[in-house]
Amino acid sequence: MSEYKGPPAADPGALGVGTSRGGSAMLVAQSGLAPRHGRAGGILGGLGPLVRLLQGWISTYFSLLLLGMMALAIGLTGVQHGVTLMGEQIKNALVLGAIYALVAIGYTMVYGIIELINFAHGDVFTASGFYAFGFASLFHLDSLATGSFGGLILALVIVFPLSMIAAGVTGALIEFVAYRRLRDAPRLAPLITAIGVSFLIEGIMLVVEGPDNVTTHMASWINGEAFSIAGVSVGYTDLFVIGMALVLMFALGAFVRRTRLGKAMRSTAQDRTAALLCGININRTISATFFIGSALAAAAAIIYSINYGVLKWNIGFHLGIIAFTAAVLGGIGNIVGAGVGGFLIGIIYVFGGSLFGGEWSEALIFAVLVLILTFRPVGLFGVEVTTRA
Amino acid sequence: MVKPTKGLLSIGTIAALGVLAACGTSSTPTSSSGGATGIAGCHGTITVATDLPLTGGDATDGPFPQLAAELAVNQAIAHKLLGGCTLKYVSKDDSTVLKNGHDPAQGAANITALASDATVMGVVGPFNSSVALAEIPVASTNHLAIISPANTNPCLTAVVPVCSDPTININTASLYPGAHTYFRVIASDVQQSEIDAYIAAKVVNATKVYLIDDQEAYGRGLALLFKKYYTTTEGGTIVGQASLPGATSTFATQISLAKSEGAQAIFFGGTTGNGCGLVRRDMGSAGFNVPVLGGDGCEDTKFISDANSGANTSEAEGSYATSAPDVTKLASSATFFSQYAAAYSTKAAPYNDGTKEPYTAYGYDAMNILLQAIHATLVANGGQPLSSPQAFRDAVVAQLRNTSYDGALGHTTFDANGDTTNTGFTLYKVTSGNWVGVNTYAVDTSGKVTVKS
Amino acid sequence: MALLELAHVSKRFGGLLAVSDVSFNLDRGEILSMIGPNGAGKTTAFNCVTGLFPITSGSITLDGEPISGLPPHRITKLGIARTFQNIRLFAFMTAVDNVMVGAHWWMKERVWDGAFRTGRARREERSVEQRALELLDLLGLSRYAGSYAREMPYGLQRRLEIARALATQPRLLLLDEPAAGLNTQEKKELMQLIARLRDEGLTILLIEHDMRLVMEVSHRIVVLDHGEKIAEGSPADVRTNPRVIEAYLGTGASNEMQSA
Repeated sequence: MSEYKGPPAADPGALGVGTSRGGSAMLVAQSGLAPRHGRAGGILGGLGPLVRLLQGWISTYFSLLLLGMMALAIGLTGVQHGVTLMGEQIKNALVLGAIYALVAIGYTMVYGIIELINFAHGDVFTASGFYAFGFASLFHLDSLATGSFGGLILALVIVFPLSMIAAGVTGALIEFVAYRRLRDAPRLAPLITAIGVSFLIEGIMLVVEGPDNVTTHMASWINGEAFSIAGVSVGYTDLFVIGMALVLMFALGAFVRRTRLGKAMRSTAQDRTAALLCGININRTISATFFIGSALAAAAAIIYSINYGVLKWNIGFHLGIIAFTAAVLGGIGNIVGAGVGGFLIGIIYVFGGSLFGGEWSEALIFAVLVLILTFRPVGLFGVEVTTRA
Repeated sequence: MVKPTKGLLSIGTIAALGVLAACGTSSTPTSSSGGATGIAGCHGTITVATDLPLTGGDATDGPFPQLAAELAVNQAIAHKLLGGCTLKYVSKDDSTVLKNGHDPAQGAANITALASDATVMGVVGPFNSSVALAEIPVASTNHLAIISPANTNPCLTAVVPVCSDPTININTASLYPGAHTYFRVIASDVQQSEIDAYIAAKVVNATKVYLIDDQEAYGRGLALLFKKYYTTTEGGTIVGQASLPGATSTFATQISLAKSEGAQAIFFGGTTGNGCGLVRRDMGSAGFNVPVLGGDGCEDTKFISDANSGANTSEAEGSYATSAPDVTKLASSATFFSQYAAAYSTKAAPYNDGTKEPYTAYGYDAMNILLQAIHATLVANGGQPLSSPQAFRDAVVAQLRNTSYDGALGHTTFDANGDTTNTGFTLYKVTSGNWVGVNTYAVDTSGKVTVKS
Repeated sequence: MALLELAHVSKRFGGLLAVSDVSFNLDRGEILSMIGPNGAGKTTAFNCVTGLFPITSGSITLDGEPISGLPPHRITKLGIARTFQNIRLFAFMTAVDNVMVGAHWWMKERVWDGAFRTGRARREERSVEQRALELLDLLGLSRYAGSYAREMPYGLQRRLEIARALATQPRLLLLDEPAAGLNTQEKKELMQLIARLRDEGLTILLIEHDMRLVMEVSHRIVVLDHGEKIAEGSPADVRTNPRVIEAYLGTGASNEMQSA
């Protein structure tokens, strides 16, 4: 009994951070997008022992190298432009990262449990933003939220669960209609289906919501004024975005770790057959995974809408790809990894743009994606699985 | 990384949404030159066309000049401008679902299709400079006249320093493998950015400007020209510059940088579809309150709704943009706008009101200039079409060079490059939730900016 | 009445008849071993019983109720649990969590309760955890309750798998080569464990290659070869059955059987 609460003997996390938590939030046993690569990818293979040595070294210390470069970028910004700008960009990175993180979790959960890159997830994000906009108009939440602080809380209490449930149903429905019967088909089939579903949702949103930015008015819910913390201008909205994202992520972490359904999800992800024979209803568990992932996307969309005030039929695709990169960065299948990955991507985006110019932000993100897939396909927090003898 | 192949699925739905429909013949006779007796005996069919973006993200822009051009054709038919010859009109849409709006490849395909029809003597279009880059070589090879109502990229007609910028990289000479058949009735970005630089320095009184562009030929070109004139002619300083893709959802990083560098204004080279209004919105949440100045790509209602979509619902107030002169205020345009309103009274709003979009009258004058040139060609050939379609097209282009036309925009002539000599840009400012014209500026060849009457 | 009854069960994979017209009964409290050379169809038979493979023909009944055709998780709920030849634990979950997964199906918690962590959910969770810790204790795994399954020694992983199976509160436990890879001491402990489970009234269906273990714990033995049942009877009967010896000839197993 006494050892039960203690930490595990060995450390599954590559960094020595998030070990017990990281491990227990792991939704997947096989790790990374390229589980067969026991070691680093073979791109540079055969170019001599020196190259292999270097490759192995980069692979081993990839996480440290990446974090080191980020720290360098942050420090450099501080040196070049002063601490105030550094602080402000950190805030920008956290706000952006919070949204990426929440969306990334949906990708990672679905990949963890059925090894599918759910391309429709980004569009579920956008659709749920429109759901929230719909509920807000239906119940006249704008005037309620802007009226008083209590009104704001009430509006949030109304709009979050309703939109999350609607989005969850959408996600579960997509799984039921489009993916379920392809579960044992070759991987490419559900992948292409996912892209098709993404097009379908975008097409519907384009027809219903039109081609332009749609103002949701939700940005006026929270007092838009910024105050200054040590010269850094911070808005109430910024605090709301970061705080809400952290609360949701910790709630999800606790849910997956502690509840029966959470355990069912983790066990299904790790060994579907064994889970089945433990009496777990696999179909229901997978539906629940889509439900929860989509519900989180809805929360992210509401937060996005409150922060940015506009939605557009195709924002989810772009945002989704970046969030997916965050999931891969953290180690796909690993919930904590996706959360941390989201914030790291936010840092890369903002500081990359700040140092090298905005045109480099996305290039840097996808460069990181390529580097991960080459040197550390299991992601920062993934675990390399050696094939058991 | 910009979105790859997206949205193929909804081609049908978009087409269904398309606003374009053949409109009924309009009567509304006006006093005009009347049918020339020499061409009463003309026979044959002569076709004119428009190529404009009509659907997707451009559905709020393209249809206005298209309807205006169509009005010009219908009036010419009513007045038998081409005598006994049949005047046909074809409308092409260069939007695709893939791009959710104007698509250069589609534009080039449209011009190829039109050029292969021997009766087509000229095209009004395109709307976007990026489309023009794809269309001009096709038109040039096929001797086909194209008259743009809205292209402002200077490199389309003349070599200016920014043309060789790697992100623009336009080799003007290579656009014309054949004849120089391209004309435009609107002033180019060179004049616009000279005026923008003047406004930043003399109206906004900014000595430091932060520059953002949307990575497209129009936006990037405008930003680089602005930079050139603002730093040289006006002696200002550019404190930072960012080039961001159209899908950018937040500009917070750049706003923080601009603030940290003490920028006194932000110049946005680009369109509202690519984030002009969102820059203003993000300034609100960053607590950074200096004016935003943009070109004609920013001067639309989307800018105001985007800028006001943040926590501050009046964030757009005080933003500046230059755009084509407020032709609605010109004495010369009054007749046209009333004719437009009469002809399209049954159209759904906003398409029933030509004043809702700055380029409406440009589409009208461009088509009328083309029709006048065809008319003059017929008259010069004894009232008959030239037997060789190619010779006919060459003759129309030659007549276009000699254009001296008084229309809705005032007096238009073309210089050797096919650029209009009728320049001028109006400065607009967001006041009480609307773009309100402040002043119209003109710039002479020496770069001196003056306020027009 | 028999607890488990297989009647003329066949399973065909394309052209291969993996299980051919196999019938046998398993009585309450009995330990029945299934033996046979590799590829005889033993594990396939297990997969048919647990519902992983739909059977081609025949019927399987548990306590008189037909179970063939039911999804595996339903069959688990009816009281059949199993372990796997190649251990299939939830590698990235702790030992106690592994057992709790097995114990979860009979909890009453709804999604609602879980989402809001109601008192009932919390109470039930605690009782399940209590039961899981008891099971670990029963199998001598208390020390490893908080360890990840993948970090436990191999022999203990086998035991943890049994603990997880027991957590589903089975009436019938299917063990697929539980002694594989175990050393002599661990095998001895396993034998004791099986005997203890039998004493507590659990019915066990066992696949095992270790003849010493099979002969010691089994009440009866069913022998499969090429998917067919070739013999059934007490350990003593089977040991001397000429067909069985023939099936094992050349593998050296007959000697082993004789000496066991």
